[in-house]
Amino acid sequence: MKLGRIVSYIVLVIVFFLMPLLLRHNAYYLHVFILCGINVIMAISLRAITTTGQISFGHAGFMSVGAYTSALLVMKLGLSTYAALILGAAAAMAVAAAIAYPITRVRTIYLAMLTLFFGELIRLVFTEWRGLTGGTSGIIGIPPLGTISIPGLATIDFSTKLPYSFFILVLALITILFFYGIERSYVGMTFKSIAQDESLAASIGTNVANFKALVFCISCFFAGLAGGFYAHYNAVLAPDTFGLFPSLYILVYVIVGGRRKFAGAIIGAIVLTLIPEVFRVVKEYQPFVFVALLFLVIFLLRGGLVTLPEQVKIQMEKIHVRKNENA
Amino acid sequence: MESLVQSIANGLMMGFIYVLVALGLSLVFSIMRIVQFAHGEIYMLGAYGVYFLCVKLGVPVFAAFVISAIVLALVGIVLERFFFRPFRGDVENSIIVSIGLILLLQTVASVFFGAQGKYIPEFLPGIMSIGSIRLPWERMLAVFAGITITILLFIFIRKTKTGQAMVAVSQDRDGAALQGINVNHISAISMAIGCALAAMAGALMGAIFQIDPAMGGFAMEKGIAVIILGGLGSIVGAVAGGIIIGLIDGIVPVFASTTIAYIIGFALIIIILIIRPKGLLGYE
Amino acid sequence: MRMLETKGLTKHFKGLRALNNIALSVGANEIVGVIGPNGSGKTTLFNLITGFLKPTSGEVVFESKHITGKGPHAIAQLGIARTFQLDRLFHEFTVLQNVAVASRLHSRIGFWEAVFNMPDYRTKYHDTWDYAQKILQFVGLDDKRDVMARNLSHGHQKMLGVAIALSANPKLLLLDEPCAGMNPKELNLALELISKIKERGISVVLIEHNMKAVMNVCSRIVVLNFGTEIANGSPDEVQKNEDVIQAYLGVTRHAA
Repeated sequence: MKLGRIVSYIVLVIVFFLMPLLLRHNAYYLHVFILCGINVIMAISLRAITTTGQISFGHAGFMSVGAYTSALLVMKLGLSTYAALILGAAAAMAVAAAIAYPITRVRTIYLAMLTLFFGELIRLVFTEWRGLTGGTSGIIGIPPLGTISIPGLATIDFSTKLPYSFFILVLALITILFFYGIERSYVGMTFKSIAQDESLAASIGTNVANFKALVFCISCFFAGLAGGFYAHYNAVLAPDTFGLFPSLYILVYVIVGGRRKFAGAIIGAIVLTLIPEVFRVVKEYQPFVFVALLFLVIFLLRGGLVTLPEQVKIQMEKIHVRKNENA
Repeated sequence: MESLVQSIANGLMMGFIYVLVALGLSLVFSIMRIVQFAHGEIYMLGAYGVYFLCVKLGVPVFAAFVISAIVLALVGIVLERFFFRPFRGDVENSIIVSIGLILLLQTVASVFFGAQGKYIPEFLPGIMSIGSIRLPWERMLAVFAGITITILLFIFIRKTKTGQAMVAVSQDRDGAALQGINVNHISAISMAIGCALAAMAGALMGAIFQIDPAMGGFAMEKGIAVIILGGLGSIVGAVAGGIIIGLIDGIVPVFASTTIAYIIGFALIIIILIIRPKGLLGYE
Repeated sequence: MRMLETKGLTKHFKGLRALNNIALSVGANEIVGVIGPNGSGKTTLFNLITGFLKPTSGEVVFESKHITGKGPHAIAQLGIARTFQLDRLFHEFTVLQNVAVASRLHSRIGFWEAVFNMPDYRTKYHDTWDYAQKILQFVGLDDKRDVMARNLSHGHQKMLGVAIALSANPKLLLLDEPCAGMNPKELNLALELISKIKERGISVVLIEHNMKAVMNVCSRIVVLNFGTEIANGSPDEVQKNEDVIQAYLGVTRHAA
């Protein structure tokens, strides 16, 4: 990667790390920041699933598995929150593994429906399993993330939103680096080859089912991680938080952001989390703003938000040409 | 034993409403090749249409039912023309359009009518009793309507020119166009019929249960489940699928709970999607 | 033991007997042609050998191993590669990327070493691109390496298809109508390429309609008609075979 690019990315990271500090006196802004972080993780992991040509309409369901598992491991078994976070993510991955292989043969429209039902199934199971999950009332009083003491330096106590902001930032960064690494690697190329032509990929030795299943499971691991974080951050969990709509929203972040480029998922998640919050004017009418933005983008920018710079350039060139013609 | 028979009866009655939703969805899908996720919202608006006309404007219930269906058929034509046609063939953006419409329509209903549940009067109040089995007339109406509409649809598709044109388009869009069939008109008509069916199903359902802006999601899930079970593009399949799912939803709660009934339904669908995605009787 | 042998290979579809009791045999360093009218089962034969279809009965043995019923990727890993009758390419990739991504059997890059960018991976990755370039040079597409696959001319797309199959490092290459739709110049280049492939020690099975190509390049020809083998021999023998002439050429020829 060129030096200029690396420098600009580092600057970007620094800016993002400064933001919580700038926002630290406004709990609401910090909350929105944290939501963005969670949604970025969900969007990037969902996008990874789409790089092999698959789709998931139930991604929030896997997030809920991570959330409930992490909360329950801490509250019922007394595990440390960090261990619980990882195990929660692992549990989400395990649930994903249950269907990962069978679904590799299922065609896209059917896969959409299948994952939709599976996400709903997870929600219904959590609703029904009252003994464990508190049913529709959910769980309350989930402990916050454990205190981190770095000897001699600082003690990070998760009693306010600020530490959570940094923690989600770190998680999001790890997610971004991980998936971006895959994206640019030979494995990422292989994923894209599978999305383009499975038969051709198979004919030169690609184990298509393996790759599809693997990316599905890994992606759900990160969804579970985001879920676990959410559980300890929010202190309260209910099955309805993770229903069909959240799954659809994440899909919207990915597609409206722009599926082709990696940054699309990030941009989609951030912009589409921020805009509704910015327009939190009249709560009832807020979805109209989201919908308006959504339709605006897909009618005008077929490739998603991430293609905005390109499109602007193209339009500018057109204007330039017209100007020259008229001169 | 009696509660079992009652629950079978309940299940069958629900099942036919599911059939109506599924028929509309199946029609739209096989002609327009998109899963119109906002179909459930049309169903919801059908119910609210009757509420608005009947409760707010005092229109007689039966007329409200018909007017609501017609209005939503027209809405469907507008949606097809301006929201779905521009994205034909663009899978990703079609999904986004559907999701956007779900949000839009649900919010419109919330804003206009409020998020609380409302009631619409029954078309046929009263209960018929056979022994200790209670068969509310309203629910029987749903069954009757479901059967009648299915038969009418069947005849329409088999016997009319337009119906046959629809079959042609569902099998081979380009081939049909080459034969001089105006594919855009057919898409519009299918959407209109599909939405009318959804609206009617919503109105029938609304007369039995409460209506609220979020009722569309339930209909959508049942509709898709029925189609998967019975097979896309098959009318007989939709009826069979609707009855089966209706029976599950009617019987299982007696032994376990409604949630478990839904879980079984979904698990069944997931397994079918994995093993035989085209459904029991489906073709494409 | 021959490199590839099929025994009693049969494939029925619903009501259609696509392939009947085929015994194909390919030795090391051979170019075998498979010809026959349209619908005679040639591509079905390829699909059965390479695992895209499962036979109704019969077996396929490659290098003394039973490969019947294995999946396409496993068969590729064992050393059989193929091209497709209806062009298959990675349209969103450049020519070089197409070949590079197809070189996975050569590079042996593992999933996790790539994900975590290990040093081993970096060398292998670098090497893959060099390897891909060499394949392109061999095939004659090196000057087009940065062109998007979908922008290539028809003839070049066919060559790219061959290049992709070659990157899988096969011992046996199945070419399905590689010369279809080519002009005479392209045809000659294609035939040269096929000879070069043989010189590299790779055996080739060639489905072709272009008779000049087949007769020139193949040491042995198998003729199929309605899924059954009707002749098997040298180009001369096959050309003079009455059944073949009847079924395929449709003209009775007098001895020249």
